[in-house]
Amino acid sequence: MNDVLHPRPNPIVAAMYTLRDLEADIILVHGPAGCGFMAARRLEEAGVRVMTTGMQESDLIFGAEEKLVRILQEIDRRFRPRLIGVVGTCASMIIGENLDGAVKRAGVSATVLPVDVHGCSGPNTTGAIRTLEVAAERGVISPEERDRQKDMLGRATLIEQERGLTSRTYLQPHPGATKLAVAQEIVRTLRRGGAVAVALNAKKETAYGFADTLRAVEYARAAVGGDARYAGNLDPEVGLPRIRRYAVDILRDLRAAGVELDAVTGGLDEYPVAGDRAAEAMAAWRPDLRIVAGVPHAVPGLSKDDVLVTDQPRQLRNYIEQGFARSVGEISTHADVMAARSVLRSELGETIRQVVDGGLA
Amino acid sequence: MRQIAVYGKGGIGKSTISANLAASFAESGLRTWYIGCDPKSDGSMTLLGGRQVPTFLEQMKKGGREVVFEGFRGVRCVETGGPLAGVGCAGRGIIVAVQELAKHHFRQEDDVLIYDVPGDVVCGGFAAPVRERYANEVYIVTSGEYLALYAANNIARGLANLNVNLGGIVCNSREVANEEEVVRRFAEAIGSHLIGFVPRSPVVRESENHGRTVIEHAPGDAQADAYRRLGRAILENERLAVPTPLDPQAIRDMLRETR
Repeated sequence: MNDVLHPRPNPIVAAMYTLRDLEADIILVHGPAGCGFMAARRLEEAGVRVMTTGMQESDLIFGAEEKLVRILQEIDRRFRPRLIGVVGTCASMIIGENLDGAVKRAGVSATVLPVDVHGCSGPNTTGAIRTLEVAAERGVISPEERDRQKDMLGRATLIEQERGLTSRTYLQPHPGATKLAVAQEIVRTLRRGGAVAVALNAKKETAYGFADTLRAVEYARAAVGGDARYAGNLDPEVGLPRIRRYAVDILRDLRAAGVELDAVTGGLDEYPVAGDRAAEAMAAWRPDLRIVAGVPHAVPGLSKDDVLVTDQPRQLRNYIEQGFARSVGEISTHADVMAARSVLRSELGETIRQVVDGGLA
Repeated sequence: MRQIAVYGKGGIGKSTISANLAASFAESGLRTWYIGCDPKSDGSMTLLGGRQVPTFLEQMKKGGREVVFEGFRGVRCVETGGPLAGVGCAGRGIIVAVQELAKHHFRQEDDVLIYDVPGDVVCGGFAAPVRERYANEVYIVTSGEYLALYAANNIARGLANLNVNLGGIVCNSREVANEEEVVRRFAEAIGSHLIGFVPRSPVVRESENHGRTVIEHAPGDAQADAYRRLGRAILENERLAVPTPLDPQAIRDMLRETR
């Protein structure tokens, strides 16, 4: 087995994001200050309060369960939350802290989900799965929803191992191809009466960024002609309430821009399987140019001529080294979308509009 | 400065030997430290007249400054301390305590440091005194019983992994048949030597009941001389080598052959 050297998300961060999806009011990280710090910043932009027990050296030696009990009681008294997630870290879990016992001793009125994961628990999806299991045990989600999501996460892990970030030993970040050439190709295809297919296969909130590709292509089609068809994993009836809300927001904005989906490929947490449906839909349409935005490598049978749009610089390196020369980056997407409630303007989308408006293709 | 770590199976007599070694060094005029690394923090009691002292880690947590306590003939005693059973991380405690002691307390003019380290080498923390080279020679205490030898062999494996020198094996007798011969053969089989034999004696318990080492309580007793002999052997010892641990089955074979 090859060692994967580049940094990537860990189970702690995945647990935090899953708690966000479960609409936790507060995520309490039981560990040293700074653990999960960057993820915490983004989650706070999404309206979740993230806190830390700020473990010190003496907590590491003597244990910090009493501190956790005290902080949980303080949080409950001060913020009156409905749902709290307590997430373990390497520091607290390696010394064997009993999160569940501390939660019981705290005796707070909020529902508390103790998630005993740490950075070495396995792939990042381990943290999400553990969170879902605890949520189902405490009645926050149904066993069926837990199993559906676990299945998705298992498939996502497999896709990453086969085709994504963990399929390669080391990937240096790459900014992606320049957007002008790609935007010109899209507009030229439409202008000469060709057909463009756009598949949104995005992971959860990132769809607020990637959906702009569909709007921009429709803008171009309306201006220069040609044919465009759209697929997207935007089923508003699938997933947790927060995820469904994203789909409702995005469908509203797409409709306002004149985009009607020709194929709904699944929910926003179903990108590992929605990719199969997107591939089937595009194969049936037989377009002249295909664009896949979000997690393109979850779409099987990609062609080297396809336009791939993603937000991960290392994933861009992965695509480009495999010969997908039209791989473009929307690097700031994840940071930009955390508090979004409407589709944002993307770099590729804006470039397409400029090419159309400026007669650059 | 001689920096010595004493390891061995739990209950084999490490603390009794370490405290009596410290007392014998101190009575011969050497500036001696005893650093007890067991969270139970009871190893230094016989050097301190039966008194249990605040531990280094407790004091660190509370902001207390008094961590070194002078015992018999000026032996400087420290108990690193640690968490209650079942919580926290005792190994991390040892790491932090020995780092802080080395940084702020030990001095060049000190003659001997004795680290009394609990049980087997169960995690990286318990290996800290030797891994971080705060101790540069190790003595393993064992009896002639299989489980004590098995633990000693495991400790030797840990030392081999860390490339640390073993100074010798101390036999603390449980009055097993051919015990000295058994332990001598074991020591040689792992590439070391038997550095001392400490007989079993009721004066050890009697001294402990008075909160004293044998050296202090019964200085004229033959048992006190046994500890003094061991101390001299350690001070004169130049046979230091990284051990070569045995297959556990070889220990059983050796025990059968010797009896």
